Amino acid sequence: MVLLICQHCSYKWDYQGENEHYATCPTCRYKVRIPEEKAQMLRRKGLDMELKSEFSLKEQPVKLRGIAGIVNKTIEDYQHDKSMLIQILLRLQNNFGWLPMEMLLEVSKQLGIPINQVYQVATFYKAFSLSPQGRHLIRVCTGTSCKVRGAPIVLDWMQTFLGIERGEITTDGRFSLKTVNCLGCCALGPMMTVDDKYYGNLKLPDVKRILSKYT
Amino acid sequence: MKEVKRISSPEDLKKLRQEIRAKKDSSKPIISICVGTGCIALGATKILKDIKDEIKKSGLEGKVDVRETGCLGICEQGPMLIIYPEEIPYFKVKPEDVSEIISKTIIEGQLVERLLYKDPETGEVAKEIGEIPFYKHQLRLLLGNNANINPKNIEDYIEIGGYSALAKAVFQMTPDQVLEEVKRSNLRGRGGGGFPTGIKWETTRNALGEPKYVIVNCDQGDPGAFMDRALMEGNPHSVLEGLIIGAYAIGANQGFVYVREEYPLAAESISTAITQAEEYGLLGENIMGSCFSFSVRVHRGAGAFVSGESSALMTAIEGKVGEPRPKYVHTAVKGIWDKPSCLNNDKTWATIPLIILKGAEWFRNIGTKDSSGTMIFSLVGKVNNTGLVEVPMGITLRDLIFKIGGGIRDGKKFKAVQTGGPSGGFIPEQYLDIPVDFDELVKIGSMMGSGGMVVMDEDTCMVDVARYFVDFLLEESCGKCIPCREGLRVLSSILSDICAGKGKIEDIQTTEEIAETMRETLLCALGRTAANPILTSLKYFRDEWEQHIIEKRCPANACKALIDFYINPEKCQACLLCLKECPAGAIQGDKDKVHWIDQEKCIKCGTCYEICNFHAVKKLSGEAIPPPPEGMKPIRKLKGEN
Amino acid sequence: MKKVITLQIDDKEVKAEEGKTILEAAQHAGMEIPTLCWYEGLEPYGACRFCSVEIEKKGRSQVVASCCYPTEEGLKVKTRSPKIVKIRKTILELAATSAGEDVSSKMRALACEYNADLSRFRSNAPLPPTKCILCGLCVRRCIEANWESAIGFIGRGIYRCIALFPEKAGLCSTCSYCRDVCPTGRTCSTFGPRPPFPRVNDVLAGRK
Repeated sequence: MVLLICQHCSYKWDYQGENEHYATCPTCRYKVRIPEEKAQMLRRKGLDMELKSEFSLKEQPVKLRGIAGIVNKTIEDYQHDKSMLIQILLRLQNNFGWLPMEMLLEVSKQLGIPINQVYQVATFYKAFSLSPQGRHLIRVCTGTSCKVRGAPIVLDWMQTFLGIERGEITTDGRFSLKTVNCLGCCALGPMMTVDDKYYGNLKLPDVKRILSKYT
Repeated sequence: MKEVKRISSPEDLKKLRQEIRAKKDSSKPIISICVGTGCIALGATKILKDIKDEIKKSGLEGKVDVRETGCLGICEQGPMLIIYPEEIPYFKVKPEDVSEIISKTIIEGQLVERLLYKDPETGEVAKEIGEIPFYKHQLRLLLGNNANINPKNIEDYIEIGGYSALAKAVFQMTPDQVLEEVKRSNLRGRGGGGFPTGIKWETTRNALGEPKYVIVNCDQGDPGAFMDRALMEGNPHSVLEGLIIGAYAIGANQGFVYVREEYPLAAESISTAITQAEEYGLLGENIMGSCFSFSVRVHRGAGAFVSGESSALMTAIEGKVGEPRPKYVHTAVKGIWDKPSCLNNDKTWATIPLIILKGAEWFRNIGTKDSSGTMIFSLVGKVNNTGLVEVPMGITLRDLIFKIGGGIRDGKKFKAVQTGGPSGGFIPEQYLDIPVDFDELVKIGSMMGSGGMVVMDEDTCMVDVARYFVDFLLEESCGKCIPCREGLRVLSSILSDICAGKGKIEDIQTTEEIAETMRETLLCALGRTAANPILTSLKYFRDEWEQHIIEKRCPANACKALIDFYINPEKCQACLLCLKECPAGAIQGDKDKVHWIDQEKCIKCGTCYEICNFHAVKKLSGEAIPPPPEGMKPIRKLKGEN
Repeated sequence: MKKVITLQIDDKEVKAEEGKTILEAAQHAGMEIPTLCWYEGLEPYGACRFCSVEIEKKGRSQVVASCCYPTEEGLKVKTRSPKIVKIRKTILELAATSAGEDVSSKMRALACEYNADLSRFRSNAPLPPTKCILCGLCVRRCIEANWESAIGFIGRGIYRCIALFPEKAGLCSTCSYCRDVCPTGRTCSTFGPRPPFPRVNDVLAGRK
């Protein structure tokens, strides 16, 4: 935005026009000179607009393909609403397991949200992963009640057994291990979920048995 | 698809209720089985399927109803089911028991004794749900209806009187009268802050700006608290009804429900409830034929504890990153998209229909003078009866933990109870007789928070738990403010050093200094109350801190770096079990030779301690380890002797 | 015209327009309140908490961030009490935990003024110093200059950092907005068209 201040009436406003030298104050109608640095910004705005019009949405192909097509179908379900960014990314994450960079770029392009905001949202929330996940997602609860009932021992043991740290995936791509801050079953700690199936009251021998069921 | 007739007046609602009640046969048995997330984890889905199959096999289809309900609270004893109309409760049900239940109780009318609740002290068997000590001392205003309704069927809720409060508010009261009633009831927010709800509603109503919004906060990030999940899964219509009444009083036409990502069943429940309410004309355009319209949208969270804070939640609903912002201008005046927004916890919304129906005076008579009504606590940790407890405010902690909770499990000694999640503090034994309400807990340094109560026994190390809370907040902090991000980083490093035996005496003073800075300057409640667990832990358990720092020992035998595992040669029976299970191969011994642990290889995982059937493994801290008893023969014990 | 109200800053009567923040009112009256993440023309962010002042309202005293708190009639503000000086010293030391002692320009000057020991907590963060306190000034400046900014925040909590988006990096060759706002001097050392921020794929891969 180009903030201009009228020297006559001290009115501040966001100049939307394209003239690089003078602007008209909306209240007192005096001519306001545009300082050089703001003129530079205007020139850059013009460049940006040119780039945008090359890929304007009106000229989009009727049916998008590939990652752009997947993203388009999800965005249409949410009626292109910018405030539903988190819900759109959640839907994409649930359906495809992870969010590749190309998908985030497409979301930014099709929704019209700056790329830095999309990245900020995708890296802020723990539910999104920007790298591929294993075939089965293990989530171990590390809430207070589960900790007091022995969850750290279960977690340590699982890390030793699978050979990975939290947030990593096994070399054969079978499991990826994550921790969660409270699954909501605090009376049955220690808890874990594997692929949306809940397991409670865990003891060490149970864990081996449960993991061996998954290929 | 059933043909649904829209309710277009309060008389229509009354007629529908009478029709539903007339269709029910009061002598027909109903099996209510809990399919909340907790019981599903214990295998309730298979039991439900077996029950349905068994009913078909016995030819009882149409003569017995099966009702899938939400969480019933006594999670320790799950999976559970209740048989109506006699209200017979069966606990710890297994798939093998299903055929016996159907044949004995449903067909013959006899009880299956081994599935009934047996009081561990008196030995009495409870034949009705109301006789169980866990439920007897509770006043289940909000959660009590969970057993009577299937959350996916709106007609169950209408049958027990649901939506009559809405009819009364919209057709017999003006918005100002509804607001006055809520103000007079002295209802305080159940989300943690305890702010008077009536005043918040009034501020939103009087603020300038259209449109206004109302929001349900179901982002219960406090670890150890799960009552929001139980309420949202089991009775979403009560929350919805309260929300619509609130919107009517405030003058809002759009509402949001924010549910955590970790509660998929709760999100499903509320979404189904919204769809059904819209079909029946109780939500959407012209509610019940009046000129009041209101619509609700569900927003899922994405795994951030800080997004549960009110300003962060509103930023997240706008589609941006859930970072808190300065609240010098309250969110009730400038909230979502800078419009007045009223945010309340779902338990607060669920209490509104009760206040409208039964009146503010009735509500004020429950609880204490400054905190009226009931509160749902999640009593978890090292107690015998873990689960959700709904009691009037003013009950003492002793009654809560020992009478309702059944005392500390495994006969250990009580050490402390942690209330209020990561913002609250520890309460030691000397304060067990204080009445629990919003103000009393703040006086001793803790707070009520959203009602989480984690009970700890003598095996819990207070420095370790303080370190756990700091690590939790470090992971969940948004990282915007310098004192929070860096302060928590430094505190976490100091506490890890103390737990590893590298603590220095000046660490305590540094901790207090950083905690003071955080408490004074930070932007949001997460940061300002982040130091509460450490400060209360220092205040009441300073001797444990000093033992960690000066003597390098852990009195509770919990901090891994300060303890050693040792197999008592007099108890070891040389069964080879720990030898096989040890992940580091650190146990030496043989079939006829007492086992001993090679301390060089031991990784202190605790596997041997957990699985030894003879309690031969001991934890030593700060003591010298006796030399390994090489070649010693085990002292064989007779069966039964310990 | 907005209503003009009176408040007291450091025992001096100050007149200000209603709705302005305490920081703006103080600057208008010629009084200096030190800040780290504030810059003229940008919306206040409230991340550094350095501009904290003690206010007294209805008999109760409170510490608030002056860059965000709106002025009210009859407010009493203290900008340099012993409590505030101690807080500011601790904030500088905490900021230096990951930024390191080798900072220049504004932060170095403030550290000298408040006698802060910038290496006090360095042993608690065994990582190479980043020279960045995450005040967000460069990001906010970039957003003001270019609608789709080339840099932005990534991550949460201690993993928060500023990354460059390669698709938008073309704008950097003609722009130098982020250079003059940095309080630690990190962005001053730009050589040529390459901005001193790691690319986003490197940050996500763990290569900073």
